[in-house]
Parts: sequence; structure tokens; C-alpha cells
Amino acid sequence: MFLQQLVNGLIIGGIYAMIAVGYTMIYGVVQLINFAHGEIYMLGAFFAVTFISFLGLPFYVAFLLAMICCAICGMLLDVVAYRPLRNSPRLAALITAIGMSIFLQNLAMIIWGSRPKPFPHGAVPAYFEKTAVTFGGVNLSWFHLFIFGLTMAMMIGLNLIIKKTRWGKAMRAVAQNKTMAALAGINVNRVITYTFALAGALGGMAGILVSAYYNSLYPTMGYVAGVKAFAAAVLGGIGSVPGAMLGGVVLGVAEALGAGYLSSLYRDGISYAVMIIVIIFIPAGLFGKLIKETKKSM
Amino acid sequence: MGKLNPQNLSRGDKIRIGLLILVLILPFFPFISDYMLHIIILIFLYMILALGLNIVPGFNGLLDLGYVGFYGIGAYTSGLLTFHFGLSYWVIIPLAFMNGAIWGILLGAPTLRLTGDYFAIVTFGFSELVVLFLTNEIWLTRGPLGLPGIAPPSIDLSLFGGPKWEFVGELPYYYLAIVMVLITVFVMHRIQDSRLGRAWFAIRDDETAAVSCGINLLNYKVIAFAISAAFGAVGGSFFARWVTFLSPDMFKFWESFLVLCMIVLGGMGNIWGVMIGAVVLVSLSEVLRELLPLLGLPVNVRFLAFGLIMVLMMRFRPAGLMPIPAVAAKMKAGQVKRKRGPATAELKTGLKK
Repeated sequence: MFLQQLVNGLIIGGIYAMIAVGYTMIYGVVQLINFAHGEIYMLGAFFAVTFISFLGLPFYVAFLLAMICCAICGMLLDVVAYRPLRNSPRLAALITAIGMSIFLQNLAMIIWGSRPKPFPHGAVPAYFEKTAVTFGGVNLSWFHLFIFGLTMAMMIGLNLIIKKTRWGKAMRAVAQNKTMAALAGINVNRVITYTFALAGALGGMAGILVSAYYNSLYPTMGYVAGVKAFAAAVLGGIGSVPGAMLGGVVLGVAEALGAGYLSSLYRDGISYAVMIIVIIFIPAGLFGKLIKETKKSM
Repeated sequence: MGKLNPQNLSRGDKIRIGLLILVLILPFFPFISDYMLHIIILIFLYMILALGLNIVPGFNGLLDLGYVGFYGIGAYTSGLLTFHFGLSYWVIIPLAFMNGAIWGILLGAPTLRLTGDYFAIVTFGFSELVVLFLTNEIWLTRGPLGLPGIAPPSIDLSLFGGPKWEFVGELPYYYLAIVMVLITVFVMHRIQDSRLGRAWFAIRDDETAAVSCGINLLNYKVIAFAISAAFGAVGGSFFARWVTFLSPDMFKFWESFLVLCMIVLGGMGNIWGVMIGAVVLVSLSEVLRELLPLLGLPVNVRFLAFGLIMVLMMRFRPAGLMPIPAVAAKMKAGQVKRKRGPATAELKTGLKK
């Protein structure tokens, strides 16, 4: 029983981590809490389902296409909403972020309806349901392994991108100091937009996985998932990518165990409580640096 | 206040007094139905809420996403005290005010030392926790079943041998709401011009400068947050006795968003602007509530319009429809200019010489 809860927690935690790195990367480069990130996650699920049920595409193709669409959405979000406010006070950008979040959520409600939908029947490859591994009385399906594999690939890949590539180097430079990065010949706006694209793709991936795993998707799903992932990012120390990954996994496990052993009614409350406690007592998180307001902000 | 002589009144004062008289006699116009009266009371309620929230983003420049938490606390304070103990509403108002302020201090004191982003997200988490608490603690709040049959307020003069009036229909609530709005506006005006208000504006305009003038940032911010929370709770206490039914669903994030939207639309920090924001958005909300089902859309889609309003306001009029110069200057200062501004042109000519 304990092991089963632990496995569930690890799987969900991996998905939280995928969303949380999006928050943390965006915070790193523009010092903005992108409230609309949860909505990109929701859009990912809806794009995938639309591709599968209307265009009849196979699961993996729809998966990739939906991720690309989410990346484009992320870029659009940055270019349309956030770029004009780059030097405005934080308050303005935050309010825009909330406005965009509510806007996208209701747009999805108009396009796809507000009722929860099931993931299209038979869209997920059949062998996903089959048991792949059994240990200690816990059955792991191929789908579990698929999610787990993607999470690991995401973590390793992201670390490689940030540490090894030119683009990752540019991202780190922009995160440290935009003016100096621009002086060094980095196109700051382009780096920021690409970061939004990468975050969007990962968020979309998480959305597809969750909707297929729980077999349901609805326009407000991004709201709770977004807050939980943000809690994960805060727990890990906002701005730190490995921190967000660890935070996501820790939060997923804490939630699964808390719901299993303490009170399932307060399942969602656990992440809010963790977030508030972390913010009050260790605002820098597990890995982060304490944020100082670099420019005058409202 | 000895300037009630008509000659001494400025044009603005005349307009305000005219409006007040119009509002006072409004229910007696034949075209005002009970439904319209209900909407107008709703507008007054949101005016109180928006004026209360305005203290935090408008006067202090901090983003508060959890205002509905205090609104809910006030509503349930009022509802439960009436339901279990049958307290009079006139006793409940100060109790709700104090309860809101206490929670404001409890939440504000540890979190207001953090930067604005963290504060925003903590308030959001707090309001979600309040909703979860109201939903799950069934022994206290009856949870999702809701709290029905909250007695309406009454004016009881039987202690002094007078009569007892029960509030029946919308009309008494209408006048009660007017009185509450007037008191709120009066308090806000006095605070705005007081030492406290000036300290807040200093914090909003430049924290570093404010500290160097000897303003204790944390103290002033906690006071602001507590007063704001207290007004939210008073609004909630009125709401509970007015609709006589409470359920946790009424206190979701949407409400915080709507109130914030009023402030953004009207003009952060501007008392009159915020009130006009409440008028516009409640009316818009009700019109959309009627229109959307005709188009076959769920009622909640009206928030699409509010989201859009927020984004567009921040992009084009960040200080609101009735901007305050200080806020406008600050918001404008950072905007990216597409066109070549006069500054660069000057620089160019300067270089040529």
C-alpha cells in the first residue's frame, strides 16, 4: 500500500516537475510569475485530444504536434502580452499574467465547452494498459514507465541544454543581467521568447500526460495544476531548475502520502500549505537564492 | 465642515451631492424593479469590497490575490454567529471587522516582509485554503450543503420601548448598503489624507526613499493589509445577512479577480475611480449573465471579457480610466516605446553639434 502510494506520488510529482521547470525558467529570465503557464498545460491536453479525435492522428504524432502548438502559444503569450511591459513595474506584468490566464481559460471554455471530457477511447496505445513490471505487490504499467521515462529524459535533456549549449549559456546570461547580456551581443528578447517556447512545450507535455493518465480534461484543469506546480517551484527555490524538479517530486510524494494517510479532503490543501510554509520560513527554497528586487518595483 | 453654503461648494461637490440625492430617491422611480434594486445593492457591496482591496494594490502597490478569503471569513463570521447565537447584525459588524483584521495581521505579518510576487501568491494560497476549510469542516460550516436560513437584520428598539423592524424586501438593504458605502468612502478619504495614508503613498512610490524617511515598511504594510481585510470581512458580513444563504462556492478565486479588475479598470488608488469600476463591471457582469445563455455559452465565460479588460488596461492605460498622477507616472516610466521618443531625437541632435 505504502509502495503503491509512493509510486503514484513519484509519477504525479514528475509531472508537477515538468510544469514547475516552466515557471522557474520563465521566472529566471524575466522575473515574472507566469500565471498563464497552467493554461498552456490545459491547452496541451485539448490540442492533443483535438488532433486525435478530429484529425485522427496517432497518439505519438498528436503528442508531438500538441507540444509544438504549446510552444507557439508560449511564444505568442510572451510577444503579445509580456514583451510590451518588459520594463513596467512588476505589478503591471503580474496583473497582465493573471488577465491572460483567465482569458485563455475562458477561451478554452468557449471553444471546447466547460464539461469534463474523457481522453478519446483507444487513442492511447493498447499496450500502455498492460503491466510491465511487478515488484513488492506494485504493478507498473507501460504508461507509468512512459511517463517516468519522459520525466527522466526531460530532466537530463534540460540540464544538458542549460549547461552545455550556446542557447543555454545565453539563457543563463540573460537571467543574470539583461543589460550585460545585451552588451555581449545576445538578443535578449529572442532568448526570452525561446524560453517561453521551451516552457510551453514542457507544460503542454505534462497536460497531455495528465489528461491521458486520469482520462479526463476540462478547461479549469490548469488552475489547480498551475498552483501546485508553482508551489513545487517555490519549494525548490524559484529560478533554480534542479530545485523545481526536486520540488515537484517531493510535492507529488507528499501529496500522495498525505492524501493516503492524513486526509484526502485536504489533498489540494497540502500543496498550498507547503507553499505558504516554505515562503514564510525558507523563502529561498531548497536550492534558490533569495530574490532581491533588482529594480524599483511597485 | 461648515461649508454647506451652496456658494462655497465646488463643482465636484455639487455633482457628488446631486448623485447622492439621486441615489437616495432612486428606489421610488417607477421603472426600478426589485431585480434592478438587487443589482444596485450588489454594486454597493462591490464598491465596499473594491474600496477595501484598493488599499493594498492602490495605496501600497502590492498585489493581493486572496481578497475573497477575507470576504468569505466575514461572511461566515456573520452567518455562523447569526445561525448559532442569533446575534444582532449591529453587533456582528464590528466583530466581522475585527475578525478580518486579525486574519489580515496573522497572514500579513510573516509574509509582507517578502517581495511582492511572493506576497501575491501567498494570499492566493490563503484564499484557496479558506475555501477548502469552509468546504471540508462540515461540523462548523455544513460544508458544500451551505448555510441556509440566516436571519435578516432588524432594527430592535424594544429595549427602549420602541418598535422592532425586520428587514423585508430589498429596500432596507438598499439604504443600509448606502450608509455602509458612505462610511467606507469617508474612512478612505480620511485615511488617504492622514499620516498613515501619506506613509503608504511613500511606500508605493519608492520603498527605499520611504525607509530612509524613517517609515517602518513592515508595520505600515501590515496595517494596510489588516484594514483592507477588515473591510472585506464587513462586506462579507453584509452579504451573508442580505442573501441569507452561504456556500463555499461563493468564495472562489473569481471574486478576487473581479474586485481586482474593478480597481485596475477604475484606476489604482483613486477612490472615485474604483467606485466607477465597480459600477461598470457589476453592470457588465449582469448584462453578460443575461446575454451569454442566449448565445449558448456557460455564464462563467463572462470572465473572458474581464481577463481581456485587465490585459488591455495594463497595455494601454496602466493607471486606469481615472488615473492618479503618481501611479500613472510610475506605470508609464517603464513602457517600451516603439516610436523614437523625443529623448533619442534630442540625443541625436546633440550629437550632431
